[in-house]
Amino acid sequence: MGNKQTIFTPQQLDAYQDCTFFTRKEILRLYHRYRDLAPQLVPLDYTSRPDVKLPYELIGSMPELKDNPFRQRIAEVFSEDGEGNMTLDDFLDMFSVLSEMAPRDLKAYYAFKIYDFNNDDFICKSDLEKTLNKLTRNELTEDEVRMVCEKVIDEADLDNDGRLSLEDFQHMIVRAPEFLSTFHIRI
Amino acid sequence: MCYFEGQGYYSTEQSLRLRRLSSRVPNQNAAPHFDWGSSPEGGKDDGEEEPRNLRELAMPLYMKKKVWQVQQMRIPVASGRVRRSRALRLFYAEARNALAMVTLWRRAIHKIGGHFGGGVQSYFVFLRFLVVLNFLSFLLIAGFVLIPSIVFHSLPFNTSISHMPNTTNITGLEQCMVYDPNPGALTVFYIYFLDLLSGTGFMEYSYMFYGYYNNTMVVVDESFSYNIPLAYLLTVSFYFLFCLFCIIVRMGGVARVAVATGGGAAGGYSMMVFTGWDYGLQGGCATRLKQNNIRYQLQVDLEEERLKLKARSLTLLQTVGLYTLRGFLNLIVIALILGAFTAIAAATTFSQKNQRDGIVGLLLEYLPSIVITVSNFVVPFLCDLIAQLENHNPSTTIILALLRAVFLRLVSLAVLLYTLWSNITCENGMDTGCEPCSYNYQQYQCWETRIGQEMYKLTLFDFLTTIAVLILLEFPRRMVVDNCSNKLIQWVGRQEFLVPPNVLGLVYAQTVVWTGALFCPLLPLVNTIKFVIIFYCKKITLFHNCRPAVKVFRSTSSNIVFFLVLLFGWILASTVLIYSMAEIHPSYGCGPFRFSSSMWSTIPESFQNLPHTAQDFLTYIGSQAFSIPLFIFSCVLLCYVAALASVYGKSVALLKAQLKLEGRDKQFLVKQIEELQKKLKPKQDPMGPMALSHDHVQATCDPQDSYSSSPPLHSYALD
Repeated sequence: MGNKQTIFTPQQLDAYQDCTFFTRKEILRLYHRYRDLAPQLVPLDYTSRPDVKLPYELIGSMPELKDNPFRQRIAEVFSEDGEGNMTLDDFLDMFSVLSEMAPRDLKAYYAFKIYDFNNDDFICKSDLEKTLNKLTRNELTEDEVRMVCEKVIDEADLDNDGRLSLEDFQHMIVRAPEFLSTFHIRI
Repeated sequence: MCYFEGQGYYSTEQSLRLRRLSSRVPNQNAAPHFDWGSSPEGGKDDGEEEPRNLRELAMPLYMKKKVWQVQQMRIPVASGRVRRSRALRLFYAEARNALAMVTLWRRAIHKIGGHFGGGVQSYFVFLRFLVVLNFLSFLLIAGFVLIPSIVFHSLPFNTSISHMPNTTNITGLEQCMVYDPNPGALTVFYIYFLDLLSGTGFMEYSYMFYGYYNNTMVVVDESFSYNIPLAYLLTVSFYFLFCLFCIIVRMGGVARVAVATGGGAAGGYSMMVFTGWDYGLQGGCATRLKQNNIRYQLQVDLEEERLKLKARSLTLLQTVGLYTLRGFLNLIVIALILGAFTAIAAATTFSQKNQRDGIVGLLLEYLPSIVITVSNFVVPFLCDLIAQLENHNPSTTIILALLRAVFLRLVSLAVLLYTLWSNITCENGMDTGCEPCSYNYQQYQCWETRIGQEMYKLTLFDFLTTIAVLILLEFPRRMVVDNCSNKLIQWVGRQEFLVPPNVLGLVYAQTVVWTGALFCPLLPLVNTIKFVIIFYCKKITLFHNCRPAVKVFRSTSSNIVFFLVLLFGWILASTVLIYSMAEIHPSYGCGPFRFSSSMWSTIPESFQNLPHTAQDFLTYIGSQAFSIPLFIFSCVLLCYVAALASVYGKSVALLKAQLKLEGRDKQFLVKQIEELQKKLKPKQDPMGPMALSHDHVQATCDPQDSYSSSPPLHSYALD
């Protein structure tokens, strides 16, 4: 349990502990998970802050994300370049927000970004249709998809502009008791 | 760097937001705002606040690290405090981890919730609550009644054991005092097994049942005396109050969630779409199951809407016909339930009157349990068939089925208990055996132990039935469905884990244990073991034999229903307890209360032995001078809390309306800006392409052409 690791400087570890919801042990464990995805790309020494990015294909092949229909959106939202290629910082950030200690508002903010497929800060009907198709593996009929989208917008849209803004989304999340436990990946 | 110029596409409505930074940087209105200009005020709050604040910000990590560096340079003086606060935070994190590991079955229940949904998970959470409750109850009873009894049975001779004084005149009642629990010395081995199943024989005169405990008060030396009957009575009373307290606390927690989230009924579709997917699911099979589940749920909900619309469009004649049909079917259901009650009463009386040896005797002893279990299977099944004719919408059908099943189970138990008690106190007028002893001495030499045995048999039989159903019904059903491709069998399909009948089974078992706790002190221990085994068996059958339910049970509102039903069971058990303690004369031949006129009378007698100040204090508390002011004060407190709740409700509604108004204001302002821009646009055209950069207008969600003077992915920020 001592300070024997040589991957990060003590300052870097302190920064990670203060900026994520992880303890020192968990940060090191996550680093090793990150490295296991591509041992030849990720150096053992992060003290010099190397700029290493793992491509989306490797991230998407992790067992925690492999079967998630939203894995591409998750990687895009948390990655710096917006395309799913993640640095170690992005990786830690992603699992920190998805951990069980992240507060509801933070999770709701990122959940909104994940479901906003075209990145326009609103969840409009086309975003909803894409979400629904991913949720049900395209097995609903067109009619059913349309009806469900209409109902969702009816229920959640408070300012009546035909699409969901972040405030509408957060207002709805406040009334959902299961959100904290479903928007959670244990790693 | 590139992030600050922003990504994404801006539509017309967002021209107001063009000043805002990119999508990953916090929006001033929404995500927690970080103020670069803030300086630490000093004091120890800051050391903890700033790191916590940083973690909860919605910023990319590399930006947070920069902020952190700036913070570190700013507060070198408070580094000691910062270190201490960080150490404290780490300690809390470790403590939380350790506590989470101690929570019983946490991982199993999480896995169940991920695969089968919140409804099934709530059943297992309820089961875990009952296991913990029963175990704590057992510790309570063991600590105050069982262990002292064991210790005092083996005391050396120099301590004095005095028997409780007789408060009743026992002349002429010698025949009531004979109690012979051990029939013969020579017993065959299989008799031991029968005794284990029915609580007689070697089990009867043991710590298991009431009859073994003595009405002794042990005086070890001058300062310490232990009054076993008083301890027995107070422990059982405290056990009941402890259970009530736990139920109410749990119910309060669950109700708080339900009230805050509006019962979960409103916003069903948006909840399902946005919070329905469990991100923790792994494995292709589980995700496919979940996707099927969500799809089926959405289809069922849409179907329910269609049915509701159709129901509203019925003509008057059809409505009248429907209600007549429903009334008639309800009468049939009531007749079925009353028939079940009569059967139970008859079986109980018959079983109490006839005692035989061997297997036939065992069957006779279990007759009430068998009849109850059979009726609990048959009557709900018939009610389900009838409910299909009634043509309600699915959620009403579920609620009706639940109410009928609750009524059946709890009232059939009440009928059984009433029959037993009327036998004991000879109220059915048939026997005249109650004369000398004021209880039915002919049949029951020690009636409390008999009641304890009945409750023990009910518990055991319920357990055996559950296991038997698992082994004989569910596993074969799965094997048949998997291996046989007959269309009919495939249509019947695998077992579905239905939550309401299972929960009712748990409530019934717990009510039986509560009723029997006074007469069989080890029953909570038996029940703990039983529930632990049932947990593992149900988990196994869930994962091997069941498919996810199609009618998903909404867990938030139903959790309250579970605890409410449990509370009814508690009320039933406590009614029985109070009646037994206060009204019926204890047996003369056995137990800690022989020679008292009722169990309760021990308390007034011990009251006399208390010091005077304690007596005065208790008298004052029991008097009207105290209780009336207390009652008035409680009423005032209740009114205050009710007023507070209504005020909060009103302010929530007010805030919601305000939110809507603000949205409309925003739209209005945006439209005005659009119009202004349209007015300015024809004037700006002759000024050339440079001016177009100030005039970025898009109409839809989708990206339009990007300007050649900028990189393709970026849009503009006005500054």
